[in-house]
Amino acid sequence: MRVLLIEDDELIAHGVLAGLRAHGLTVDCVATAAQAEVTLSAVHCDVVILDLGLPDEDGMSLLQRLRAGGMTLPVLILTARDAVEDRIAGLRAGADDYLLKPFDLNELAARLHALLRRAAGRSVDVIEHGPLRLNPASGEAFLEGQAVVLSRRELALLAALLHARGGILSADQLKDSLYDFNEEIESNALNVHIHHLRRKLGADIIETVRGVGYRFSGVNA
Amino acid sequence: MSLRLRLLLMIGVSLSLLWGGVALWMLRDLNHEMRRTLDQRLKMSANMVAGLMLQNPAAWDGSMGKAGASTLTMPPAEQGLTCRVSSLRGEVFARTPGTASAAIVTAAPGFADPEINGERWRSFTVETAGLRITTADRVAERNMLQRDVLVATAVPFIVALMGSLMVLWLGVKSGLLPLERLRQALASRAPDALTPISEAAMSRDLLPLVHGLNQLLQRMSVTINRERRFTSDAAHELRTPLTAIKIHLQVARITHGQEAEVALDYAEEGVARLQHTLAQLLTLSQVEGPFSWDDGHITLADEVARLAIRDAAPNAPGRIILDSDGSLAELALPQALAVTALRNLLDNALRHSPSENSIRLELQVLKDVILFRVCDRGPGLSAEELRLVTQRFWRRGSGRGSGLGLSIVAAIAERFGGSLELVQRPAGGLEAKLTLPSAKQACSN
Repeated sequence: MRVLLIEDDELIAHGVLAGLRAHGLTVDCVATAAQAEVTLSAVHCDVVILDLGLPDEDGMSLLQRLRAGGMTLPVLILTARDAVEDRIAGLRAGADDYLLKPFDLNELAARLHALLRRAAGRSVDVIEHGPLRLNPASGEAFLEGQAVVLSRRELALLAALLHARGGILSADQLKDSLYDFNEEIESNALNVHIHHLRRKLGADIIETVRGVGYRFSGVNA
Repeated sequence: MSLRLRLLLMIGVSLSLLWGGVALWMLRDLNHEMRRTLDQRLKMSANMVAGLMLQNPAAWDGSMGKAGASTLTMPPAEQGLTCRVSSLRGEVFARTPGTASAAIVTAAPGFADPEINGERWRSFTVETAGLRITTADRVAERNMLQRDVLVATAVPFIVALMGSLMVLWLGVKSGLLPLERLRQALASRAPDALTPISEAAMSRDLLPLVHGLNQLLQRMSVTINRERRFTSDAAHELRTPLTAIKIHLQVARITHGQEAEVALDYAEEGVARLQHTLAQLLTLSQVEGPFSWDDGHITLADEVARLAIRDAAPNAPGRIILDSDGSLAELALPQALAVTALRNLLDNALRHSPSENSIRLELQVLKDVILFRVCDRGPGLSAEELRLVTQRFWRRGSGRGSGLGLSIVAAIAERFGGSLELVQRPAGGLEAKLTLPSAKQACSN
């Protein structure tokens, strides 16, 4: 899952970045509204964390503009303003959730997962597909009741494919889900992770669509 | 005691006393006059009888000749005057019927108060041409007459007094109605309501009062709103570093090695920021509050500049170039505050200048003030930003400061009669002019 963090305070941005990465999420951080818009138009993200006090524009008006422009990603507002009116205004402007500073890192991660599964139309964290059971929030995967140990990247890759519900994801889209801007990506890194997943869960789990991308094709029982 | 009750008592009691006194005085006079009138009647009656008797002396001479003849009896009069005509020796020639007329015996002419058969009488005796004529009436009758007159006079008076007290009560009540309305309007307000009181239905006399109240309410509301915003801003400012500390500590807990070290470093930076913001807040509240700063030390402008430079750039004092005329000018404010103000200006200049550039601090002794000029070569500020820059918690973009530095400088300048002016330098960069009063001025005050 790839998260876009829009936060101007360097200290907090560093913390959220490190914390969410430790929780297995892929995080990009931008400090201004202008950068946020550029990033959103260029990269596939799953969820946005928005701080309201941005240097170049009020976060609330950025959100309204993005929503007016047709952006449908779930947005979590992060703010130190705790007045009820502020919260109502934020939710009305198109936010999906609201978290008050100082917040708990685990709560932030849990809320992001909740936002994502709502966006995917599920009401529990666990994604089930035949004998395969995956909990993206806790990072646990089971195949026919047996726990399977997956690395952070493998987990993110599997979750992205499951979220697509059988749709084809291009290599670039998958890379967007796995890596943020600052990470150096080896040219065959994606192939390595796909290879590992096939080894752990069965060779047929990921179908390669030549020239287009990859697709989750299910687990043969 | 309510205003209404006091007004009612004051007017009511004085009205009653005044008119009661007048009434008593009048009634006493009336009483006296009545008695005199009744006495006059007795006297006139006696004189009238005497006149009648003298017109026809033969009548009573003849009857006197017939000694022992029956006494002439006058028509009966149960009430009213009793009359007796006798000789000086006591022979009765004529009298009104009844026992009283027979019994009235008076020795001397003039008024007397005899008591006959247990009744008190008032009599008048006149002696003329050998006749003694006595008229008398009952004191009880006179008293009854007097009482009737008194009652007839007093009753309307009492009614009038009661009526005027009633009118007074109604008048005071309706007269104080606007005051009562104001009282109710105030009483029905919520304790923290700061909205103005409606001036619509107020009487003209109360308008200045209501107006004054509304002005006070407005000032209070402005102050409370400002304080509320300040508290909210302060909470916001403290929350941000607190959030950073909390997150980094959590990160340090769930990560290992290098990553955890970095997180702890960041957490420490957050603590330093929190500490700085708290210190600035404390300074601001002390500068604006009634706190006494006087430490009894002489504050030398040069020393202030030196200490401020040391505090602002402890590691690179060379970045700040001091240009002072070297005189021993004294400042009329505590040294700690002067240093704080100047250090904040230097901090700002250093923060917004490229690290290779130096800052220039000029010190000029003017007539009554000492001028500190801090010039940097940073990006400067726009006209709009210059207007906002001394507001609490304002900072440009996501600057690192607490947003209180210049607010503190402005507060210190204001408290001691100095001034702070920020101008954009034509050559680029910002120039901050801080004037602080010199001690000479303070002595002459």
